This record gives sequence, C-alpha cells and structure tokens, in this order.
Amino acid sequence: MKDKNPFFFLRRFFNISRIFLIPAFLLLMIFMFYPIVATLYTSFLSDRTGNFVGLENYDFVLFHGVYPLINVPNLQQGMPPLGGLINNFIWIAIHLPVVVLSGMFLAVLLRDVRGGTIIKSIVFLGVVIPLVVGGVLFRFIYDKDAGVANAFLSLIGLGDLTRTWYAFADTALLSIILGSIWIWTGFGMIVYSAGLQGIPVELYEAAAIDGASRWKTFWRITVPMLRSTTIVVVTMTVLWELKIFDIVYVVTRGGPGGASDVLAYEMYNTTFFGRNFAAGSAIAVILTLMTVGFAAYMVNRMSKP
Amino acid sequence: MSNGISGISKTIAAIVIIVIIIIAGVVAYVYYQSTLPKPTLTVYALWSGTEQYNFEQALGNFTQNTGINVTYAGFTTEQLLVSVPLQLQTPPYDVDVIIIPWTDWISENSPYLTTVNDVVTESDFPANIISPVKDGSGNLWAAPFKLSGKPGFWYRTSFFLDNGLTVPTTYDEFKNTLLPAIEAVPGVEQAIASGDTVGWPLSDTTEGFIMGLGGYQLQLDLETGTSVRNWTDPQVENVFGNLTDLLEAGYFSTPADWESQLAKLWDGKYGIYWQGSFITTLPEVQNVSDLNFFGFPGTTGVSGSVDYAVITKDAPHPAEAKQLVQYLAGADAQEIMVGQGGFLATNLNVPSSAYTPIDKTVVDFMGQQGITIVPDLDDTIGGQWQQTFWDQLKLLWTSPSTSTMNNVLNALQTAAIEQQGT
Repeated sequence: MKDKNPFFFLRRFFNISRIFLIPAFLLLMIFMFYPIVATLYTSFLSDRTGNFVGLENYDFVLFHGVYPLINVPNLQQGMPPLGGLINNFIWIAIHLPVVVLSGMFLAVLLRDVRGGTIIKSIVFLGVVIPLVVGGVLFRFIYDKDAGVANAFLSLIGLGDLTRTWYAFADTALLSIILGSIWIWTGFGMIVYSAGLQGIPVELYEAAAIDGASRWKTFWRITVPMLRSTTIVVVTMTVLWELKIFDIVYVVTRGGPGGASDVLAYEMYNTTFFGRNFAAGSAIAVILTLMTVGFAAYMVNRMSKP
Repeated sequence: MSNGISGISKTIAAIVIIVIIIIAGVVAYVYYQSTLPKPTLTVYALWSGTEQYNFEQALGNFTQNTGINVTYAGFTTEQLLVSVPLQLQTPPYDVDVIIIPWTDWISENSPYLTTVNDVVTESDFPANIISPVKDGSGNLWAAPFKLSGKPGFWYRTSFFLDNGLTVPTTYDEFKNTLLPAIEAVPGVEQAIASGDTVGWPLSDTTEGFIMGLGGYQLQLDLETGTSVRNWTDPQVENVFGNLTDLLEAGYFSTPADWESQLAKLWDGKYGIYWQGSFITTLPEVQNVSDLNFFGFPGTTGVSGSVDYAVITKDAPHPAEAKQLVQYLAGADAQEIMVGQGGFLATNLNVPSSAYTPIDKTVVDFMGQQGITIVPDLDDTIGGQWQQTFWDQLKLLWTSPSTSTMNNVLNALQTAAIEQQGT
C-alpha cells in the first residue's frame, strides 16, 4: 500500500539507522574527507604566493629539485639515486615476491610440523616489533664492527666484503629492503596459514587416491585454493611497501645522497624540513592515488570469481 | 596671630596625614604585590638529558632570584619547525620564550616575535653571533646565550706522546706527516674518526675544512647565500677537493654512531676526531685530563652552534619573559650553565674562571687573536638545505671521488637556490 504521508521521502531518508550513521559520517568528513580535499587543493597552489599553478608542483617533485621522485639522468645511467618513486617500485619488485613466496612456503611447511606454532610465533615477532625498533636493529645488524651480517660474512671467509651496508649508496636501499623482509614475512605466513585451514581435506584425499605427487598437489590444489588469500597478502604487502617510512627514517634518512629515498620520506622531508607544503601535498596526492588505485584494483579482482 | 598659628598647624597636620596616607598606600601596595601569586613562564626548547638538566639549573636560579616560576616543555625538531610557528600565528597560546638554534627560523618567524633590544647589550656578545638575528632596521630578535664550540681535532695526549706524534702547524704537516704517522701506529684502523647521527658530525668537520682552507669569510659568505657565494665557486671546490683527497686516501673512517666513535678514539682505533666541546662531559671520555685538541692548521675561524632565546609576540607574560631573556643573556646565568661543563658562554663578561680546565682551553683558543667565531653553517641556513648537506656529505664520505664531489656541490647549490633564492 502506498504511503499517503507527503513527507514520506524525508521519513525514509532520515530513518533511524541512517541517523546513527551521522556521527561517524561527520568524523569521516572532518578527519578524512576534508584533509584529502585540502591536500589536493594545496598541491595546485604556489607555496610562496598561494596562486594556482596547475601541475607545477607535480612536475617539480617528480622531475626537479635535489631529490626528484624520478631521477631521469641517473635512471639512464643506472646509478643511485634513482628517485623516491623508483625506489618504492624497486622495493615492491624485491620485497613483494620474496614475502609472498616465503610466507606461503613457511605456512605450508609448518602446517603439520610438530612445534610449528612456536616457530610461527617466532617468525611473526617481526610483525609485532615496531618498525622504528626494527630500524635500530638493522643499524646494529649491518654495522661493520658490531653487526651480525658482517660477522657471518667473516665466518664464511668473506671478511673482505664487510662494511656498514646501509652507509653506502650502492647498498643502502638493498640492505633495508632485505632487512624488511624479516619484518613482514610473518604477516604473509599467518594469513596463508589461515587460508590453508579453509581448504577442504577431501581435495587432498582425492588427489592422494588419484596418485598425485605432493608437488602436483601443491600446484594444482593448494596454490589455486589460496588465490583470494594471495590477493589479500599482495594487497596488504604492496600498501605496506608504498607507505614505508619508519625504517628508512631510522636507518638511512633516505641517504646517502638520496640513494634510499622513498615517497613517504620525501613527503616528510619536503613538508617538515623544506616547509614546502604545496610540494609535500603533491607527493601526498601521488602516494594516495597509487595506494587507492592499487587497493581498488585488487579489491575488484578479489570480488571476481 | 593665634589664627595664623592654628592655620599653619592645620596645614602641617594635613600634610602629615597626606604623607601617612601615601606611605600607608605604598606599603599596602607593596604588601599586596608580594602576596600576589607570581606568574609561571612557559619555555619551549629542544633539549633533553644533560642539556635540559643544565638549563633547569639556570632556571632554578632565576626563580630563586625573582620568584617567577618557569615551566620547561621539551619539543621535537619537527614540532619546533612546523607546529610551533603555526601556534605563534594563532594566538592566544601559552609559550613565552622559545630556545632555538636556527637563525633562519628566527628570521622567518620574526613577525610573531618581540624584539629584545632593550634587554640585550649587543657589545656583550661576539658580533658574528648577533648579526644573524638582527634585521636591517636594527631590530634584535633573539638573545644568544649558549655556545657549543667546534674547535678542532680532539685526541688523547697519551696517544700522541706514546707514538711520537706532534700537533701540526700547517696543513701540509697535517696531511703529509701526521695522518700517515697515525695510520702507521699499530692497532689504528684509520687516522680520523667520522661520526654519524642525522649528519652533523660530518658537517662540523667540513666547516673546519671550509674555514681552515678557505678562511672564515668563506663560511660567512656561504651562510649569506648564493647571491654572495655559490657552492660551485672555485674556492669552495678547492676546499672540497682537499677534503676529497683525504677521503680517497682512506684517512677518514666510514661514518658510524658518533658516541661509539668517541669510544674507539679512546681505545686507540683512531687518532683524531673532529667534535664539539660538549664531548668533554661524555662518559666515553674516561679521563678528561688526557683529552686535548688542536685547531685546523692555520684556521681563521671556529664554528659555534648558538642557542638563542626568543620572546613570542603575544606572550602571556611579556614583562617576565623579558626578565628571563635578560637573565639568560646575562653573565650570571651563563656562568651557572658553563660551570656544568661542555658548553661555552656567549656573553663576553663571563670570567674564564667559570669554566672547567678543558673548556677553558677551548675558550682561550676561540678567543685568541686571529680567530673569528662564526655561526654554525647548517644551523644558520637550516631547513631542507641542512638535511641535504648532511645527506650529501654522507655520500661524499662513502663514495669519495672528484665526480661525487662535483655532484655533491651541484646538489648543495640547487638546494641553496631552492631555499635561499638566487
């Protein structure tokens, strides 16, 4: 029966459930929507005059200044610093596959092992440790005199290679990327462990009856059944890699000579030390677009069968 | 007649009564004032640990003398750089006095500060540390009250004596005699220790080379900006060329935590270490009487990091804030501060007897004829340039070559133009 009340649409709009959403909506507007819009707006203004300058700030942070996000001349020569954005991509290229594969490998390996839970807890400690503390640990690990990494090299007869790894332009980025693998592997391992629990045992039993090898079972059953888990791990890991800041700040401060600079650190440096809010906003927008774009793409993929 | 006497008596009586009333009023006012609660000033500063403790000693003395309480609030670099200026632009706020080492910050924020001309006697201070905080109209925006001198290379006297090493008097002696001699000592890893933190130990060393090989005026020019001197200037290239030669020759260690490097100096792993006078109070210096230093051979200047006190424009207690700044800039407070060791006074009236023996040698060195105290280069320029300077020096230290040096100087020039303009 049709509602005769002339204010029917208002009553429908302001129904009780929506009213309860208003406080949360207001908070989101104030603390998320407004800062995003304000940052976007600031990124199109001149920091000195406040006038509209179009994409000038984006051009500046991407290709100009002391530490451009994309250092084209150095990219052509293949020598650091390559730029914060490129370093983020390098981080993803190295860190992502290692973390995903080692997480899956550890989860599968420790699934039915006695004491596996304890080992998993130890591996997961890396995720629990604050990144700043992790960064301080890296400084010790890679130190020429006190570091475990160099002690190991000396032990296996490679003492000539010992150096403070994060102090040199050619190894700074790589050393913190490799160090961060330990920190984040536990995340992939735990998510994959949960994913493994969801695979029906009958599938493995059927494969065993059909005489499938363990290797074939892994590739034909485990890996496909972990597809949605992999999407979650990849999404979270890439977002973690894009916004990486703490470790870089503690270990190298983006150096030496910008060799280990990343987007988030350059945003911080430009905004707080350069006091160039417009350029800092431009970097923030680039970072936001990358993270939101990637997250949207992955969520879309996850929803597809 | 009696009427006349009576009239005079009445007049005298009236005067006496008026005087009594006035005296009673004054006494009552003074009593009332003494019973009023004294205001509490709020001071923002970067310090923690020993520095904060030393400062609080001086503040305690101020409170004892004036009855004015002072609340100390420790802030981070980022807060002082960004959030505090925003706070100053939007009064009311609680801060009265800010202690800050960056003169570019003071210049930028001068519209939100109060001048201190009436509480600071400029002639009591070295001219070079006053000029960065004084504008063209003669307004003085800050009071310098603490100095950290970077006099030169520190060494253990016993190390030099045991190994027959002598303090060089020329750069040639330094480079060709002392450094190879130190490296020849058994157990020595490298001649010169290089400290690392955010980057300032390397910048202090570089400033030593700039003033030692280029003269103090070169550093002052670079502080003024690229309108006076470019970072690609031949004189600057010459200084960095000499530094690069030593780096390429392997005389400098890889930068490592600056305090642990001090411990290694003490253990004889390095021979010399460029540092500030504050190291004299550190626990790594196990016997301060065995510690000594020599200035860069032939130098005409010494770098000094100065801490300045500024008064905010809308300070809740402006009169008391001025009292505090006057006190901090005065010889009494500075005498208390330097008595704790490790730091030097900016006020020239502080007697040399106030210093610890090792600090006195630093003061004597800095005060000698022919030596000019120059503000710390990177603290003066500040901002992103400072970060770039620190970072680029790490690059030069770890990958020394003429090509790296040219890239470093170009980067410094670009950063200077971005920050200071052309």
